[in-house]
Amino acid sequence: MKEKLNKILKLDRRYLFVLLTLSIVIPIIKPIGIPSKSISTSTKDTYNFIENLPEGSTIILSLDYDPSTAPELHPMAAAVLKHAFKKNIKVIILTFIAGSGGLIDELVRTIPPQYSKEYGKDYVVLPYMANPLAALTQMASDIHSFYDKDINNKPLKNYEMMKNIKNYKDVAGVIGITGTALLDYWVVYVGDKYGVPILGGVTAISQVGYGPYLQKKQLKGLIGGMKGAAEYENLISQPWKGTSGIDALNIAHILVIVFIIFSNIVLLILKFL
Amino acid sequence: MNIIKKYIPLTIVFIFGIITLASYYVPHRASDEYLEWINKWENIVSAFALFLGMISLFYSHYKKIQRKVDGWGYSLFVYIGFFIIMGAAILSEGDISKEGKLTYLGWSFNNIYNPLSATMFSVLAFFIISTAYRSFKIKSFAAFLLFICGLILMIGNIPLGEIIWDKVFGWTKLTIGEIKDWIISVPSTAGRRGIMIGIAIGAAVTSLKIIFGIERGYMGKE
Repeated sequence: MKEKLNKILKLDRRYLFVLLTLSIVIPIIKPIGIPSKSISTSTKDTYNFIENLPEGSTIILSLDYDPSTAPELHPMAAAVLKHAFKKNIKVIILTFIAGSGGLIDELVRTIPPQYSKEYGKDYVVLPYMANPLAALTQMASDIHSFYDKDINNKPLKNYEMMKNIKNYKDVAGVIGITGTALLDYWVVYVGDKYGVPILGGVTAISQVGYGPYLQKKQLKGLIGGMKGAAEYENLISQPWKGTSGIDALNIAHILVIVFIIFSNIVLLILKFL
Repeated sequence: MNIIKKYIPLTIVFIFGIITLASYYVPHRASDEYLEWINKWENIVSAFALFLGMISLFYSHYKKIQRKVDGWGYSLFVYIGFFIIMGAAILSEGDISKEGKLTYLGWSFNNIYNPLSATMFSVLAFFIISTAYRSFKIKSFAAFLLFICGLILMIGNIPLGEIIWDKVFGWTKLTIGEIKDWIISVPSTAGRRGIMIGIAIGAAVTSLKIIFGIERGYMGKE
């Protein structure tokens, strides 16, 4: 008995890998469609912030993630962008992550046409900058002095929507969707210093760390992980990759929990044998 | 030599450190202009830092190939990957797409960088599942607390967890979302705040040590 239990505990990890693969792949191929029963307050706050902005306002959407965290963050970015366009809010998209270029390109190729939005009139994309701190502080005095050209290398001042945008005073808020610490930078260097409302979208693993900012309202809202993305898609009634990805996440999470409990029960039995 | 190698860098750091620190607290046009000027410099220096990083990366992999150390073949891929993407970027003039169509760079991003980067990150899930089964042993009260908090956060992060919780613990009238929010906003925030304050004090002290020339690690060996 003891030997058998020890053998179970030392199970070849490849069996675990196969189980995990199946638990992720099967729900992706054949979605179960388990609906989210509740919507977290911080996701709702983000939704309400955009929902309550007057038409024609401008927001900054800082998309600082690369393909490694894209499964969680890309659906959030898409949902926020769709919501903003739906409410006729103008969007300035920028990034401080070099690897995000292709993901941003995918968003601006696919989403604006769905809402008949025009580049330069309803949204602009700014080029990648290597130094976020310099950009964040500089944009407080004059966005155009730091970003004189857009991603297409054309003068930013020539675009209709940028003519009345000089600095943070002219934007209604910043939404930072990131897999890095850049959201902290937005809070500390822009939100706290210039009083700009800051909201965010982060991976589930880093969501817990933003508790202090949320509690003190330094962050007005936060979308956390794939569940947050699915919640936001649910709020705007546009299910996409967040909603479909949550099925795989459901099973994989349960699998991890079952493994921890099972191995500890085996360990407990071994202790008394 | 001492003047060039020691006193001039120390003086530059002291002067710019003090002025930059002061400009944060002085709401005046001059400090805005100063920050604007220094930011441009910072951006230029960052670009050079990237360039230096690239040279250093190439050099270390070149050495690995030259010495034929274990796994030197992987180092070749640093060069292959770099030149493929750089070639694609030059051919595409830096654009990911043109008139709605993917360029060579866009294709490389979608079909090389994107899957490789996602795969590297996904490997983490396999390590987590292996660790969860083989190493997460609840042998103490602290480990038990960690397990309970982790369990609540994991269950609270998935719709299936909410359904299971409601079926099993629905009689408590507490939702898993409420408990998860409590953990995040009370014990976790308290701990996180302590860490943040510690880091902030540490950063402030280190910065002052650098400004006043006490900490000179950035200057390299004496």
